[in-house]
Amino acid sequence: MTGGGRLHPFTLLAIAAALPALAWILPAPSGGLAMATIALGLAASRGLRPGLRPAVLTAAPFWLFLLLLHDVPTTIAIGLRITTMVASFVWLVATLEPARLVEAMIAAGWSASIAYLLAATLSAVPVLKARARRIVEAQRCRGLSPRGGIAARLRALRALALPLVLSALHEVDERALALETRGLVPGIRRTPLAPPPDPAVEQAARWALLLACLAALARRFIVPRFI
Amino acid sequence: MRSLTLDHASFWYPATASPALRDVSLEVVQGEVVALVGALGAGASTLLLVAADLAPRVIGGRLTGTVARRDRSGIVLPTPWTQASGMAFTVWDEVAFGPANLGWPAHEIARQVDRALERLELVPLASRDPVTLSGGELQRVIIAAILAMDPGLVLFDEPAAELDAEGARTLWRLIRLLASEGKAVLLATSALDAIPDVADRVVWLEDGAVRAVGTPDLLADVAACDAGLGTSVATVWRASGLPPPYPLTVAHAVQRWR
Repeated sequence: MTGGGRLHPFTLLAIAAALPALAWILPAPSGGLAMATIALGLAASRGLRPGLRPAVLTAAPFWLFLLLLHDVPTTIAIGLRITTMVASFVWLVATLEPARLVEAMIAAGWSASIAYLLAATLSAVPVLKARARRIVEAQRCRGLSPRGGIAARLRALRALALPLVLSALHEVDERALALETRGLVPGIRRTPLAPPPDPAVEQAARWALLLACLAALARRFIVPRFI
Repeated sequence: MRSLTLDHASFWYPATASPALRDVSLEVVQGEVVALVGALGAGASTLLLVAADLAPRVIGGRLTGTVARRDRSGIVLPTPWTQASGMAFTVWDEVAFGPANLGWPAHEIARQVDRALERLELVPLASRDPVTLSGGELQRVIIAAILAMDPGLVLFDEPAAELDAEGARTLWRLIRLLASEGKAVLLATSALDAIPDVADRVVWLEDGAVRAVGTPDLLADVAACDAGLGTSVATVWRASGLPPPYPLTVAHAVQRWR
């Protein structure tokens, strides 16, 4: 597996959190550029379709709006930071296996309900994509094509949005019921089945990332006062 | 010994004026299989949700009367794809999801999961990704997942809906086996022809209320056949204009014919 897929889930989360944090803390635009390059590189390591393309396509509208609202230097500074956030999240979603995250959190003593909630949030994007694909296919069967001009695409988007949102809301109820039937109730002490290994080097790397963020924060806000 | 007792239970779904269950009194004892039959909307699924302590606790609504459960219950919902955890990459892990939530030791989880997989003839699929399974296979996985939690009261809502004929036969045999092990089974099914071989008692629900309770012979009753709740043999007998009492099974029909 490429792009860090076998890393401990906490390490993946730490990387995905540290990159945007550093992008915002480090001086613009060089800090943002460095972090965006790393985040886009990680996203690209998952492949063009699941990684780089969604990251770029999601970040692009932000650049457009920033350009309309700000001057070029500000657009570049904020755009790089937002790109880092987007690319980090896309990489995380494409890399982190929700089941491994649950196992890691349970092994670390977290509540099973919270672990499941976090994992379900991270897996929401692919689930919604699959649901949207099914809705579009169903609508195609009834003659509504999502292709064509802008007007046709907007019509198709409107026809997609409502069933997508309503079915997602309905599924929340269904899943709550289903998880109850599977014993996932508040206050349980779940047995970890296969907790992912957490090597000392990864634990050290997570501390290093935290220290790097704190050091960058100190350099940015504390040190200048004493100079 | 009683596993489940409903005493004058009525249940209203949220924001509804009329009850989905009306004044239902019912007992299910250990080692017994009780089948719930009725038209769509008769209240069988609702009764199972109440028996499983999911209604009103999880889905909301209002319950009157009393519901007493002696054993931990496990319910198989009619839509297996919504009951999957979504957190497992193999069938084995999917089946183990529930037992792990019960906090059992790992060796006990492994024992129960292996046993459930064997019972549902799922051992060859143990390492498959659940998302690659057919509807029938996933149905069997979910049944195995519930049985692996070792419930004393097992509630089935249309468990054969996704199964082929052979899968359904395996399930009916398994339900009898569960009863022989002392589990109480409450089964809502529209597979009326299977009931004479599976159930000890039949509860006929109509508009949320119990209309009749009896042995599976109830499914050859004239009123049940008139309501579309007769077995195939009884229904054909009736449609042929032959006089009641209608035979329940092919064996009964042959006996009558001779």
